[in-house]
Amino acid sequence: MLKSLGKFEKSARLVVTIVTSLIPFSIVGGLLYAALFVKAEAMVSAVKPPAIERRDRFMGVAMPSDKVIWAAGSNGKVIRSDDGGATWAAQTAPTQENLQGLAAWSADQAVAVGGDGVVIRTADGGKTWAPVQVPKSEVANKLLNVRNTDNGTAWAVGEMGAVLKTADFGQTWTRVLPEKDQAWNDISFHGEHGIMVGEFGQIQTTADGGKNWKPVSSGVKSSLMSVYLRDSENGVAVGLSGVVLVTRDGGAQWKEVAQLTREHLNDVIWDGSQWVAVGDKGVMVTGGDAGWKATRVSEGNLGWNTQVLGHSLGDKGKGYVLAGASLAHLDNGTLSVFGRAAD
Amino acid sequence: MKNKTYKAVGHAIEWLISKRVWVVSVVLAITAVMGYLAAHIEVKTVFSDLLPRNHQYIKVNDQFKQTFGGSNMVSIMLEVDSGDIFQMKVLERVQKITKSLQQVSNVDGYQIVSLASKKIKEVRASTDGIESRPLMWPDLPKNDAEIKTLKESVLNNPLVFGPYVSLDQKATLITVDFVDTGIDYTKVYEQISEIAKDAEGDGVKVRIVGEPMLYGIVGHYLTETLYIFLITVASLVVLLFLITRSWHGTVLPLTAGLLSAIWALGAAKIMGFHLDPLVIVVAFLITAQAISNSVQLVSRFDDEVANGSTSAAAAAKASLQNLFKPGLLAVVADAGCVLVVALTPIPMLEKISYIGTVWIFSIVVSALLMTPVLLSWFSTSGKKVHPVNIGPVLDGVLNVCIAIVSTRWRYVVLGATAVIFVVTGIYAFNLKVGDANPGSPILWPNSKYNQDATAINGKFQGSDRMFVVVAGKEEGALKEPEVLKGMESFQKYMEAQPEIGGSISLADILPAVKRVVREGNSRYQELGNTANENGELVYMFVSGTDPGDMDRFADPQAKNGAVTLYFRDHQGVTISTAVQRIKNYVAEHPIKDAEIMLAGGLVGVLAAVNEVILSGQIEAIAFALLVLVACCAFTYRSTVAGVFFMVPVLLSNTLTFSYMAWKGIGMNINTLPVVALGIGLGVDYTFYIVDGIREELHHGVSNIEQAITKALRSAGRGVLITALTLITSVIIWSFSSLRLQADMGVLIAIWLGISAASALFVMPAMVYVFRPEFVVGSKRHPIAIAEEQVQLA
Repeated sequence: MLKSLGKFEKSARLVVTIVTSLIPFSIVGGLLYAALFVKAEAMVSAVKPPAIERRDRFMGVAMPSDKVIWAAGSNGKVIRSDDGGATWAAQTAPTQENLQGLAAWSADQAVAVGGDGVVIRTADGGKTWAPVQVPKSEVANKLLNVRNTDNGTAWAVGEMGAVLKTADFGQTWTRVLPEKDQAWNDISFHGEHGIMVGEFGQIQTTADGGKNWKPVSSGVKSSLMSVYLRDSENGVAVGLSGVVLVTRDGGAQWKEVAQLTREHLNDVIWDGSQWVAVGDKGVMVTGGDAGWKATRVSEGNLGWNTQVLGHSLGDKGKGYVLAGASLAHLDNGTLSVFGRAAD
Repeated sequence: MKNKTYKAVGHAIEWLISKRVWVVSVVLAITAVMGYLAAHIEVKTVFSDLLPRNHQYIKVNDQFKQTFGGSNMVSIMLEVDSGDIFQMKVLERVQKITKSLQQVSNVDGYQIVSLASKKIKEVRASTDGIESRPLMWPDLPKNDAEIKTLKESVLNNPLVFGPYVSLDQKATLITVDFVDTGIDYTKVYEQISEIAKDAEGDGVKVRIVGEPMLYGIVGHYLTETLYIFLITVASLVVLLFLITRSWHGTVLPLTAGLLSAIWALGAAKIMGFHLDPLVIVVAFLITAQAISNSVQLVSRFDDEVANGSTSAAAAAKASLQNLFKPGLLAVVADAGCVLVVALTPIPMLEKISYIGTVWIFSIVVSALLMTPVLLSWFSTSGKKVHPVNIGPVLDGVLNVCIAIVSTRWRYVVLGATAVIFVVTGIYAFNLKVGDANPGSPILWPNSKYNQDATAINGKFQGSDRMFVVVAGKEEGALKEPEVLKGMESFQKYMEAQPEIGGSISLADILPAVKRVVREGNSRYQELGNTANENGELVYMFVSGTDPGDMDRFADPQAKNGAVTLYFRDHQGVTISTAVQRIKNYVAEHPIKDAEIMLAGGLVGVLAAVNEVILSGQIEAIAFALLVLVACCAFTYRSTVAGVFFMVPVLLSNTLTFSYMAWKGIGMNINTLPVVALGIGLGVDYTFYIVDGIREELHHGVSNIEQAITKALRSAGRGVLITALTLITSVIIWSFSSLRLQADMGVLIAIWLGISAASALFVMPAMVYVFRPEFVVGSKRHPIAIAEEQVQLA
């Protein structure tokens, strides 16, 4: 018994001796290993890009319902807010082209158009966007705007005299007019009456929903950027160098308003009580029967705008959503830029 | 110690003491020569010395910094109290500063950019075609109408509004680059400060930020740094005098420190190195080693005298005989650890490492040789030169140490040590590489420079630049729509990081030109569809500009271009995040005709530095520990010894790193010298104490408790004196105007404190509890008992 215990003690001591003499070697080995092979990892913080990024420009915007603001812009960017601009979500569009316009029939159905004849459509509020094939020219295909009317109809206009029409919420598109080396910049319909404006002061009108188009004289040589038909008679077209043209007979004759600004005007609308046009360097032109005047969107913001939307603020009057170098909201003269709380 | 070596050391020192006049004369002669050389050493910051050699980013930076802008940029902001910057008084000053900057030394005349420079232009259509025209050059606006036109041009130009005029229109920026070669930061600092002072006032504030200014400030405080150094030395003298109550206890340690410093600086001059004002604290670190070794010898000398040594020479001989081994071991181990620092491929660290190694080896002469030789002149009367006696306090502390070892408290101390080690070891992983806070960690947060940096980075996109090179596979690659689109989306991807305030490249210029070409139609603010179209746009932008204006975006062959990213801060995590994101982007979005190369500009080179530190720090620590283990294992012929002495070193490192992590001191190019040199620091305290225990056993004390007690009373006293003096003195650095020096002072104090504490409290307890064979011996390897000492006649 004692003998075996002694034996045990002996072997235990041996084990301890071996273990203790191994420790230094393992430490030295560990150090060598650490020195040669272990590399520290750099700390990296996660970056989540905001829905509206600094570099984004938005050329087109639509408000299919009161609270929904839907905008398209540079690098195939599409964003949407369902709460009147308080929060935004970026949508995935299948293109890197700059989108020039967005038209929405409802909060679900929309199309957007842009460079190189790109047309994309959604039927689920933008959860998925699908590219659509459209008739293309050999020369140039940039689409410059898209406007929708009811019943799933929309018109896209652009370079090389492109006038494309869809009647099925953007699934199929047909070319309405033959190619020519002149771009159409905007199109506006009121019922069967339509007007289209473009480069070199070109204007064409239709009275049968776009089946037949007739050129009319605008009296100006510079490009017209936008047109809006308030009813079948009254319309306004605006263009480069501050040109403002008024028609009172559905587009047959145009009268130029005395120059208010030298800045380009890019978009014009009837907001329900007056004409509103926006353009370069933050310029804003308003007018009606009482006369026309040019102001600034805001003194501190001289960015360009390509589209303006009017919407009612209920009792508080009228608000505007502006798309362009920034996406902004103008509420009783106070401009707030979406997605730029940090500045 | 082996009896043979013991005798040899005895004979040697006996001989040296007998020829002491000669020895001192020779040492003094060498010191005179070294002193002459040391007096001529240059004190300056050389930025390129801070950059890791052969790092890919540095190569890119060196290749392209001439055109795309290097790391030497200064940003000057003019800020108005009321109104906007479009007032005559502001514009005048912008122009004046822009002109004055031409005269500043080392300025790159082509890289002065402001509203009043030729570089800031607008492209516009005119009757003659496309024209690019400077906004405010050569003349200022003449009247309010012209100011209004200028304002409109600025606000409508995204290349100016944002980058050079703040979005609230209350500030405007002037940026200027400096040529690296031969730049004198102090001179630049003084000249720019002068220019800024002239422009200040009348409702206009001038703020300046940039690396040249930063290093200029450091140079500016050089005198103060020297004063602090002198005050530290003075406080050392006073404290040593107070504690040791003897002239030799005061003068000799100081002589040792001084001799070493002179020799090391002289040697540095011979090696062709200069001294960086930021690392002067490091000098103190090594001086501390010299003083510590000398104090041990003096303290031992006093013991020998008290034990009835017959003469000063005999006492000096005995003290060296007994302390030669731990002293030499401390020197060799420390030098080895410092030499390991040279592995980090940063020139400044290599230089520091070589100087440091020489410096530490010089301790062999300055302390191990000179202290005993000089001691032989002093009296053995043991008379105290002043009545203030803090000996009882020291004894009290030592009694506590002894009490801990001899009671069960030793287990508590060991347990607590283990807990502290584990906790700090885990917490130390929070240590950040690179700068841990915005602004410069070299200066205090409330310094004017850091406040200026915050203000400028608040108003503008960011004052720290990084450029990445878009290297085309062939000439003209940068005109390819795909490459340009790639650059644009890369910029967009990078700008999602909040710390990146903006970016600029050729892909920002061309859309603006195209828009002008297309009648100013904003729907055409985009890149050209074909390489030809882009080529035309480039041509239109360049025509009418100076040759070289295009250089910061692309070379004339359109082969290599730059994307410049502007950073609001250069914290370590900001940089590593950006670098990682660049790498991710490049991996996910390969561009067909070009590749994106990292990285130049200040942030680019800092990224390189941080990467080197990151990959090198584990290596450096591990190799330093290996050196230590090897030295100890060799000296004591025991691997256990190596591991045993690792304990205090590991402990002091985990604690120091934890302190740095807690205080937000990052591991960066400025702190690295101290941190790297500190790895092996302070282990000599432990050597003296453990070796003391061993020698007591060796000299016939059979009871381990008694041996520990005796060792603590002798070597422990020396440790306590050294630690007290050095820690108190080094704290003076915390009053420095430079935050870095203050931080490093505290860091060194902590290092010394922990080393002393573990030598006094932890190590004796470990010896007692674990009884390592190399100290207490074993049945098989009993401790050799020393032969009777031969008394000197």
